[in-house]
Amino acid sequence: MVVQALAFYLFATIAVLSATAVVTVRNPVHSVLLLILTFFNAAGLFVLLGAEFLAMLLVVVYVGAVAVLFLFVVMMLDINFVEMRQGFLNYLPIGVLIAVVLFVELAFVGAGWTLTDEAVAVLAQPTPAGVGNVEALGRLIYTDYAYIFQSAGLVLLVAMIGAIVLTLRHREGVRRQKISEQVKRTRADTLEIKKVPVGRGI
Amino acid sequence: MELLWDGYIEPLVWIVAKILAIVVPLLVAVAYLTYAERKVIGAIQLRKGPNVVGPFGLLQPLADGLKLFLKETIIPTSANKGVFIIAPMLTFILAIIAWAVIPFDEGMVLADLNVGILYLFAISSLGVYGIVMAGWASNSKYAFLGALRSGAQMVSYEISIGLIIISVLLTTGSLNLSDIVRGQIGGVWEWNFVYHFPMFIVFIVSILAETNRAPFDLPEAEAELVSGYNVDYSAMTFALFFLGEYANMILMSGLCAVLFLGGWTAPLPFLDFIPGAIWFILKICFVLFIFLWVRATFPRYRYDQLMRLGWKIFLPLSFAWVMLVATFLVVFDKVPA
Amino acid sequence: MGVSMLNLGAALPEIFMAVSALALLMLGVFAGKDKAFRTVSWLAVAAQIITVILVVTGEGGPAFFGQFTADAFAQFCKVMILIGSSVGIIMSMKFAERENMARFEFPILITLATVGMMAMVSASDMMSLYLGLELQSLALYVVAAIRRDTIRSTESGLKYFILGSIASGMLLYGMSMVYGFTGTTNFAVLADTLTGGDLPVGAMVGLAFMFAGLCFKISAVPFHMWTPDVYEGAPTPVTAFFAVAPKIAGLALFVRVAIGPFGSVVADWQQIIVLISILSMLVGSFAALRQENIKRLMAYSSIGHVGFALVGLAAGTEEGVTGVLVYLGIYLVMNLGTFAVILCMRRNDRMNEEITDLAGLAKTKPLMAAITAILMFSMAGIPPLAGFFGKFYVFKAAVDAGLVTLAVIGLVTSVVSAYYYLRIIKVMYFDEPVEGFDRNGTEMNVIMAVATIAILAFVFFPNPLMDSAAIAAASLFGQ
Repeated sequence: MVVQALAFYLFATIAVLSATAVVTVRNPVHSVLLLILTFFNAAGLFVLLGAEFLAMLLVVVYVGAVAVLFLFVVMMLDINFVEMRQGFLNYLPIGVLIAVVLFVELAFVGAGWTLTDEAVAVLAQPTPAGVGNVEALGRLIYTDYAYIFQSAGLVLLVAMIGAIVLTLRHREGVRRQKISEQVKRTRADTLEIKKVPVGRGI
Repeated sequence: MELLWDGYIEPLVWIVAKILAIVVPLLVAVAYLTYAERKVIGAIQLRKGPNVVGPFGLLQPLADGLKLFLKETIIPTSANKGVFIIAPMLTFILAIIAWAVIPFDEGMVLADLNVGILYLFAISSLGVYGIVMAGWASNSKYAFLGALRSGAQMVSYEISIGLIIISVLLTTGSLNLSDIVRGQIGGVWEWNFVYHFPMFIVFIVSILAETNRAPFDLPEAEAELVSGYNVDYSAMTFALFFLGEYANMILMSGLCAVLFLGGWTAPLPFLDFIPGAIWFILKICFVLFIFLWVRATFPRYRYDQLMRLGWKIFLPLSFAWVMLVATFLVVFDKVPA
Repeated sequence: MGVSMLNLGAALPEIFMAVSALALLMLGVFAGKDKAFRTVSWLAVAAQIITVILVVTGEGGPAFFGQFTADAFAQFCKVMILIGSSVGIIMSMKFAERENMARFEFPILITLATVGMMAMVSASDMMSLYLGLELQSLALYVVAAIRRDTIRSTESGLKYFILGSIASGMLLYGMSMVYGFTGTTNFAVLADTLTGGDLPVGAMVGLAFMFAGLCFKISAVPFHMWTPDVYEGAPTPVTAFFAVAPKIAGLALFVRVAIGPFGSVVADWQQIIVLISILSMLVGSFAALRQENIKRLMAYSSIGHVGFALVGLAAGTEEGVTGVLVYLGIYLVMNLGTFAVILCMRRNDRMNEEITDLAGLAKTKPLMAAITAILMFSMAGIPPLAGFFGKFYVFKAAVDAGLVTLAVIGLVTSVVSAYYYLRIIKVMYFDEPVEGFDRNGTEMNVIMAVATIAILAFVFFPNPLMDSAAIAAASLFGQ
């Protein structure tokens, strides 16, 4: 228990600190790296919660794939942060206003948090008893919520089609490698042996 | 006091001992893998390879290590110091911690995680950070280009590796590496590579790309990029990259052995008396030999060809295989419980 | 028919549409470089027609463990949506080829958007609601920007995307609040949970956010700002599609959310709807007065129509919902006809979008002018045309529910809006003719003719629409 508590405080502290640093550091690449650290600690917290499958997925998907692309983009972009922050002060008051309104709302809601009896009855079980992590998730995703899963797949498909429709351009004059043509080429297509008589040229 | 000893200190000591029992032989193996590489390639190219330091040149790796250890670590003035130093450490640590879930024999595993294969996959997908960070922090065009190439390459091939792992999982029904091996007990004809033969080939090629080895070693293409992402590294920082790269090779070979070559199981049932760990190590050596063999045989891929292979051939192929395996299992009602 | 069943059959139309979209995608890709645009378009239309048959003959019922419901309400709305989107594809074909946007992905995106809309009207869980909505919206963002080489199209796509994402965010925020306070996302369970009639304050806030998000999607005031710009910037057939199918789907979804899970707390949301409805009617009628561009005019007109339709929802009764459905059906026909007219405003192969371009149409093309006049009269709600009955039923429902003020404001704004519809007629009949338009395409003539006949005939044969709308509304209240 002590070990778990220590681990929790370790992960939680690092996660909070690095998350704060993500928005405060000046170098965007450092920002992304810290974001990765945050993800990593969140994965650690998942492990402590007994959701090891989710933890690994978080690392594989977010850290291993999404954040790499982030990092790529940020590294290659030439962003002038001084320029980007110029409008910051102009919008600060309205931003703060909205934030305050939302915060007050949240506070009200949090203070008045009461669940009706019916609501308590229908609350989803966090972990079904006697079923492993992977199996429980599998059942939820592929059986109980198969419809939602498939719809999400369609949404992603649309996003993909959209990205291709809006950005793909076939440039003229690009020479592409056509493997089949290369393979089909025979000696007869490319080579011609000529007898050159001595002293006359072709 | 007794509680403290029994509850915390004793297990801790045990764990540290186990970790050392894995890491130390691993580092020795890395050292001798470099030796083996030079010897094998030497033999293929009709040369002798290292033969001066010690009998048959056996002390050569130690000499190399000592040399790197004694050299001065140079940090370029324009480098981003923190990231520059963290990068090689990250590479090295990731290559080491992945070994926690590899089963050497029945029950001989540091952490028998339920989601072991996923853990391994997660760690290997992090490998790209060491390289990208190194390339960026060096503040040099060569290093950066190498890092970008490497990042794109590793991300691309990870997808087909993931899909191949999925098709293996479908037939095993578990994410636990020991269970995956147990599913292959009974001799060479029970091993997964028999059933997943096309994927076995794709997997071997993909791990070559994932570890940035020839013929996919574009990230460190000497000809264009001098040495790629680690061009600005020297001494121990370079040694860490080097160790990490080779440890990764061994790790991937181990993964290949677990997934396709039956892990610790004997190829023929009557050979069971030989300890499983020996079989496992032999299988790793076999895959490593393929690594070296390929390096000595094939020329380097061009970058567009590399991407084409990953995205247009391996990805659809492994996808199709997953579908095929799943369909087969469902139709013939062979889904593992 | 238990809730705990997969019951794939109920979702057969959606499954068929999604699978045919995938098949068409393959066909388009393998045919290469948009050669198959026409084939894919016609096949998409064919798929939608088959889907209509599947919807009508389908067994219905709940499916996917209560996340999906194919009841009469959903059936009715799906048929309208499918008509809207298939006519949308037909209208766009020639336009696309002329204007260099004939990309085979276009009909496929519309098909997928339609799948999203069908999923929306059938949603009986917040998660399926959200995913249907996103599927629809994402496809629409792309379709709005499909002429990627023109700045206006790109701008409209981008605007739509950014504002739409904010709306989705609000919707999600609201849904999470509701979930947090009630412990469920399922509509049926939610309705049971809330039968007590007292909405927890958090759920109330969540409901407000959800309504805000939904209002954006149907472009009700005060979340309408994107509409004129997007309608103006998007290619005209796309605008035609935007004006009908997503509007119907959004309103149907709105009705389902309001009546289904929150049906027992009508008093809590009624004033929100009343306010939105009044504002929409006011903005729709007054802001449209100044418009010169006919697409912008149609945008404001659609905002106004949404306001009128919401009058029926504000009533919160079965009669009101029937009114909304009838209104939507008539709105669909009128708008398709009107946009067919707009698409025919082509002079020397170039599109014209100003109202003044219609000047003297009565002299150059008397029949088209007559059709336009009928459509405009109907839009303005002049009896005995169909548009009048649409308004009549929603106002009647509102009066019956005691919302007399709302109905009166509706009537006043209706009179104001008649001004700009009649102005178009005036321009056509009394202004000096400019150069005549190009020849209309056959499909446009057919669409205009069918729309006009439907509008004229409604007074004689109101029953098919009225009855099915009544059955649909009853199915929503029967739960």
